[in-house]
Amino acid sequence: MSGGRRRVAITGIGVVTPLGNDSATTWDALLGGRSGVAPITSFDAGGFPVRIAAEVKGFDPRTAIEDRKLLKFMNRSNGFALAAAEEAIRDAGIRPESGTAARWGCAVGTGMMGVEFAELVEIHRRFTENGHLAVERLGAAGATAADPVAFCRSQANAGLSLLLRHFGIRGYATSVNTACASGGQAVGTALKLIRRGIADFALAGGFDSMVNPVGLSAFCLLGALSPDNDTPERASRPFDRTRNGFVLAEGAGFLVLEEWNAARRRGARVYAELAGDGNSLSSYRITDSHPSGDGPIQAMCHALADAGARPEDVDYLNAHGTSTLMNDRSECAAVRVVFGTHADRIGVSSTKSLMGHLVSGAGAVEAAICALAIHRGILPPNANLRELDPDCNLPFVREYPFTRRVKLAISNSFGFGGSNNCVVLRNPENVRT
Amino acid sequence: MVTGEGAICAAGKHPMEIWEAARAGRSAIVPIQQWDSASWPSRLAGEIVDFNPRALVEDRKLHKLVRRTDLLGLYVAAKAIESAGLVAHRDALDSTGADLFNDRTAVYVGSGGSTYQDQYDFFPLLTTAEGNLKAFGRELTGNVNPMWLLRVLPNNVLCHVGIRYNFKGPNGCIVNHGVSGTLAIAEAAAALRAGEADQAVAVGHDSPIEPENILHYHAIGLLASDTIRPFDARHSGSILGEGAAALVLETEASARARGAKVIGEFLGSGCVTEAEGLLSVRPDGDGLARAIAQALDDAGIHADDVGVIVAHGNGTPSSDASEAAALRRVFGSTSPPVTCFKWTFGHLLAASGIIDAVLALNSLRQGDIPGIATLRDRDPACENLAVSAMAQPPRSDVALVLSRGFAGTDAALLFRAPRHSGNS
Repeated sequence: MSGGRRRVAITGIGVVTPLGNDSATTWDALLGGRSGVAPITSFDAGGFPVRIAAEVKGFDPRTAIEDRKLLKFMNRSNGFALAAAEEAIRDAGIRPESGTAARWGCAVGTGMMGVEFAELVEIHRRFTENGHLAVERLGAAGATAADPVAFCRSQANAGLSLLLRHFGIRGYATSVNTACASGGQAVGTALKLIRRGIADFALAGGFDSMVNPVGLSAFCLLGALSPDNDTPERASRPFDRTRNGFVLAEGAGFLVLEEWNAARRRGARVYAELAGDGNSLSSYRITDSHPSGDGPIQAMCHALADAGARPEDVDYLNAHGTSTLMNDRSECAAVRVVFGTHADRIGVSSTKSLMGHLVSGAGAVEAAICALAIHRGILPPNANLRELDPDCNLPFVREYPFTRRVKLAISNSFGFGGSNNCVVLRNPENVRT
Repeated sequence: MVTGEGAICAAGKHPMEIWEAARAGRSAIVPIQQWDSASWPSRLAGEIVDFNPRALVEDRKLHKLVRRTDLLGLYVAAKAIESAGLVAHRDALDSTGADLFNDRTAVYVGSGGSTYQDQYDFFPLLTTAEGNLKAFGRELTGNVNPMWLLRVLPNNVLCHVGIRYNFKGPNGCIVNHGVSGTLAIAEAAAALRAGEADQAVAVGHDSPIEPENILHYHAIGLLASDTIRPFDARHSGSILGEGAAALVLETEASARARGAKVIGEFLGSGCVTEAEGLLSVRPDGDGLARAIAQALDDAGIHADDVGVIVAHGNGTPSSDASEAAALRRVFGSTSPPVTCFKWTFGHLLAASGIIDAVLALNSLRQGDIPGIATLRDRDPACENLAVSAMAQPPRSDVALVLSRGFAGTDAALLFRAPRHSGNS
């Protein structure tokens, strides 16, 4: 690691998850082993093969965001993003101001579903014939068929735009989508903005909601979801021999990042150093990594090297752990290769066992969980692990949280399309400056 | 170092073919043919009229697995990789060397993201369900392609470039409207500079010509009714186009070691936002001026060193005027020659900045900058710009490429011509 490189501190955390609409509630539910998975309530999923999900509950964006005009331009996941980011900014106790706005960057992992189901239904009702778009009718309706606010909401960078405007961020801004790796890659991108010197502060996060008829359909068709409709709390069981798919979730996670020395100087509470980021492509199949772990192996190795860390420094691994057959097996194989015998001494858990899979939000929320694990000295559990898959033989934090001082925590996120991300967080007491 | 390139749009399927169309003053913007657009309020676009999946991507299995925009991205990535000779070089290495090469090759893509049409695959199911969600769920299987999600992934080009070429290095898929492809170049260059990779493929692709999208752009007043007239007194809007472009970037050491032909040099980048909303553009050009200053700083050069500016020039009065204001702030009243290319093939959104980068490099190598053929009388707000309907020579071997997008994002790239390039 080069001596002159800028370090990055995590000074603010905010989340909206199926376990709670802020980080304290979410953390308590994680430690208490309370599941966020339940029958779907936001629409009638009664006819679907899968009728359960991890939904955000009782969320009202107005409690976090006072600007009513902004609310009009938000789809569901953008609301999660603004609320989680607002919590992170308040938590950090620092905001972009006229003198610093251009030194703030923003990197977000955005979901792929901009067009809301109600809008699709409306276009279908007005402008289709026999299940196909009646293009002449749409053209004849002209501008009356186009709602500019809905257009703005549907844009892939709509969430980014709302965040920039709400907080007044005027530096480098980017929105990434590598499916389930998006949130992790966004956090890594933000880390590098500060290292490169083009920002001193960054708002980094991910947000998503695919809990809607089209999103649920998409994963049902692929057979990727657990069909355990009758036992929702047990449906997500990463690394269990009987696991049978993931549970779709929604929400957002955000971090405030600051250049280390400046954060120390202002007396900020530092949860952790964001110490490293590693990325790779599996280049194997669209949905899976190679069973050998090729792909995830390189992401973890790059991330550790980037952090200037050794595998034996790692005390906690927040696994990608989706609870699908192939992901969990490939991830465990990769961990064995990277950590060798030290793998037996890491505490491993997939918090998706309780909160489901937040897709583009997952990596950011799980990075936040790693920061809290370091800060509190507690590892959250991997719930529902009753019969360990012999191919997933790692020391999991089973059933109950585990008290342990964490020097280094890492979070894995692997996406459809083959992008793998790993971020490394270091205990601030272990930072030698 | 830039060692490979590829581009496709309405004006051609190779960088030089597109450059020559611009040089000859030919616009490829025509009435949309993908659907019967006769009765449409806006019906012009830079459409690839002879779009042929088989000519673009050999692997026919892929044609049903990805969307039109992805085929464009995969095509230009293949062209860039081929022209850089990456695969031939790797395949001559022993297996350890080849594994290392793959792990040290990055892929960054700027993607247009999801489209309205993606979800139209659910129309037959909605018709069958007759408004009943229970029936929608029950009838799902059999009414929608089981691979639907994988077909519409915004990161499909990244995924399939990886699978096809086995590249496994750092990667990203940027979905950030008009600056997506530009940021793919900036992030690829950052990965090379940080030592995370030795070579990188940067791609931008988009296909925004679809009924609902055209209608929305029309409704918010962004579309011109006849042609794009950047910086002209009669400019009245932009016109969307489809296309893609790609560059292969590599470290100087990597290019030298494998004897690659250098076709340009990346000098620096800048990206900022104005933070005033999705569609807002500041009249004073604040964001663009800051992005240019950041890029000059990143490259370690001065405004005086810039020999040609490839402007965003999308033809909307507010963007053109603010762009002129930004250039006035940075370059004063004596700007180097300014040109732009969107009048030739439309606004490629996510691919707009990267196709302009490819054309800027070709202009530098030719020592010849195509004019803006639709320009007659400069808008008084753009008086300071050295724009012309005629070709101009560059003032130096450095090109500045500008791109802008929704969310008030502004980005700038700087390139230099290769050291020993001839003029042909």
